[in-house]
Amino acid sequence: MLLDFSRLGAWRVALSLIALLVGAYLLLPILLIVALSFGSSQWLQFPPPGWTLRWYEELVDDPEWIASFLTSFQIAAVVTVLSVLIGLMASFGLTRGTFRGREALRALFLTPMILPVVVLAVALYAFFLRLHLNGTFVGFVLAHLVIALPFSIIAISNALERFDRDIETAAIVCGASPLEAKIRVTLPGIRLGLVSAAIFSFLASWDEVVIAIFMASPDLQTLPVRIFGTLRQDLSPVIAAVSTALIALTAALMALAALLRKDARS
Amino acid sequence: MTFLDIRGVSKSFGNVAAVSDVSLEIARGEFMTFLGPSGSGKSTTLYMIAGFFEPSGGDIRIEGRSILAEPSNRRNIGMVFQRYTLFPHLSVAENVAFPLRVRRRSGADVARKVEEMLALVRLERFADRMPAQLSGGQQQRVALARALSYDPPLLLMDEPLSALDKKLREEIQVEIRRIHRETGVTILYVTHDQEEALSLSDRVALFNHGRIEQVGKGRELYDEPHTRFVAGFVGHSNFLDCTIAARRDARADIVFPDGSGCADIPLHAAASSGSGARLMIRPDRLQIGALTATAARPGIDATLTDATFIGETFHFAVTTGWGAQINVRHPAGAPMAHEPVVGGRVRLSWHAADARLFAD
Repeated sequence: MLLDFSRLGAWRVALSLIALLVGAYLLLPILLIVALSFGSSQWLQFPPPGWTLRWYEELVDDPEWIASFLTSFQIAAVVTVLSVLIGLMASFGLTRGTFRGREALRALFLTPMILPVVVLAVALYAFFLRLHLNGTFVGFVLAHLVIALPFSIIAISNALERFDRDIETAAIVCGASPLEAKIRVTLPGIRLGLVSAAIFSFLASWDEVVIAIFMASPDLQTLPVRIFGTLRQDLSPVIAAVSTALIALTAALMALAALLRKDARS
Repeated sequence: MTFLDIRGVSKSFGNVAAVSDVSLEIARGEFMTFLGPSGSGKSTTLYMIAGFFEPSGGDIRIEGRSILAEPSNRRNIGMVFQRYTLFPHLSVAENVAFPLRVRRRSGADVARKVEEMLALVRLERFADRMPAQLSGGQQQRVALARALSYDPPLLLMDEPLSALDKKLREEIQVEIRRIHRETGVTILYVTHDQEEALSLSDRVALFNHGRIEQVGKGRELYDEPHTRFVAGFVGHSNFLDCTIAARRDARADIVFPDGSGCADIPLHAAASSGSGARLMIRPDRLQIGALTATAARPGIDATLTDATFIGETFHFAVTTGWGAQINVRHPAGAPMAHEPVVGGRVRLSWHAADARLFAD
C-alpha cells in the first residue's frame, strides 16, 4: 500500500500525535461534563475543588428528573419495538419485492435522515396540532418513530441482503411454511441486524432533543428536554450528573453494538 | 412402473421460453441426471418439480397424482442446493432434525432419525458442530442428511458439488452413489458436468434450449447420439463437413470437400442427396496408419501436425487435405501399426459403425 503505517518512519509519531489530538478534541467535552458531575463546586468550577456524589443524590431524590428519565426510557422502548417491527416488514418489501418504484420508496424511507430535524419537527408539530397529539405519549412515539425508522431499515435491509435466500427456500422444502421458515430460519439468520436496528432506534429516540422540545408539555418531558429547560433557568451541577447518566447509557449501548459486530466477524 | 411423470411441461418468463414441452418418465429408485449447458432449462425443470416455479403448461405427477397444486413445503420432496444452505444458527444435529421438528415428530423419533442420518453420511462425530466449522464437502453431506431425514420418496440435487474442488467432488460422488444404493431414494440430479452425469446416473436426460435432446444411459448417449448437439456435448468429438452423395434408408454415401468419399455411414435425421452434413467420429475411435494401408476400412488421407504424450494417451492433431483439424487419441500402452512422424502423411481410418452422420 502507498500509505503503509509501518513504512511511514518518523511521520508515525506525527500521525499518532494528530490522532491523539483529534480524539481529545472529540472526547474532552464529555470527560469535562463527567468530571464536573462529581465536582463539589456549586458553580461548575474547573478543576473541581473537591469530589462528591451530592448531585447524583439530588438527582435521584428529584421526582421530576426521575419522571423524565422514565418518560424518555418508555418512549425509546416503544419506539424501538415499533421501529424494528415496521423496519423488518419494510426491509422484506424493499429487498425482496420486485415492484416498480422500489428504489424511490427506499429513498423515501430514508429521507428523515437527510431532512433538517427542525423542518421535521415543525411539520410534525403542525400536523399533530390537528390530531391533538402534541404533548402526548403517542405523539412522542410517532414523531421519534419517523427518525428511528431509517436506522432500522438500513440495518435490517443490509442483513437481509447478506442472508442467502436459498437458506430460507431450503427450510420451506424441508416442510416449513413460508412464515415458519422466516421465523425459525431467516430471523435468527439476521439477528445481528435486528439487534443493531434496536440499538440505533433506541438511541435515535433516547438522545433526540429538537422534535422532543416541540412535542413536550409541562407534564411530559423527556430527559434531553428537561436538561435544556433546566439549563435556561439555572446552571446546577445536577445537569452534569443527568448528562453523565445519559452518556453512560448511550456509551453502554454503543459498546454492545460494537461487541456484536466483532462477534459476528469472528 | 412410472414414479415421477413429467408431461409436456413448459415454462416461459415473459417472452422467453425457458422450458418447452419437456416429457419424461422416471421409475421409482432411479438415478436420473439432467445434463446440459447453463440456460438449457434443466434447473428450471427441477425448480418446477420442487414447486419454486409454476409451469406455464403441462403436468407433473408423482404416482399418478398431480403435485402442481401443492406448495413446496407440502410436496415432501428432499432437496440439496448448489450453495451451502445449512441453517447457520443451528448445529449439525439440529439442521438434520429441522424437517422432523416442523413435522412435529416426537423427541425420541427425532433423536433416532438424526443419528441414523448422520451415520448415513458418516458425520456422527460432527453432530454438535456449527455449519461454519465444517468444510464445504461436509456441509453438503449434512445438507444431504437433512434432505433425507424425513424419508422423502424423491430427492432433488441442484448442482450440489459445483462449489467443491475436483478431488472432493469425486469423493462425494462415491458417497452419493452409496447413499442412493442404501436408501433406494429416487434422485433427480442437475449438473453441467458430463463426467459427473455419466459416472453417477442410471439415465441421463440431455437438455438444450429448453428441450430434452436425448434420454438414455450414459453409454447410449456416448455411443449412439441422436443429434449433433448430443455428440458434441457428451464426450469429445470430431466433426467433418461433407456432402451427402446418395442415401439408402438409414445409410448414406458422403463426399468430403476434397472429392474423396466414404460409403455406408449410419445417418440420423432426414437429409436428402446433395445436402450438407457432418461426419462425427470420436477421437478414440480413429486409427492412424501408413498411407499405403489397404482401403478395407473407411478413411481419409491427412497430414500429422502435432503429437503430444500426456501419460495415459497420445494426442495427435491431424489436418485433412482441405484444412480440417481432427483430434486422435491413442492409448499409450496399445501397439501402433505405424509410427507417425509430425509433418508426415498418414491414413486415418475407422470402423464403419463408429462414424455418425448428422444433417446440417
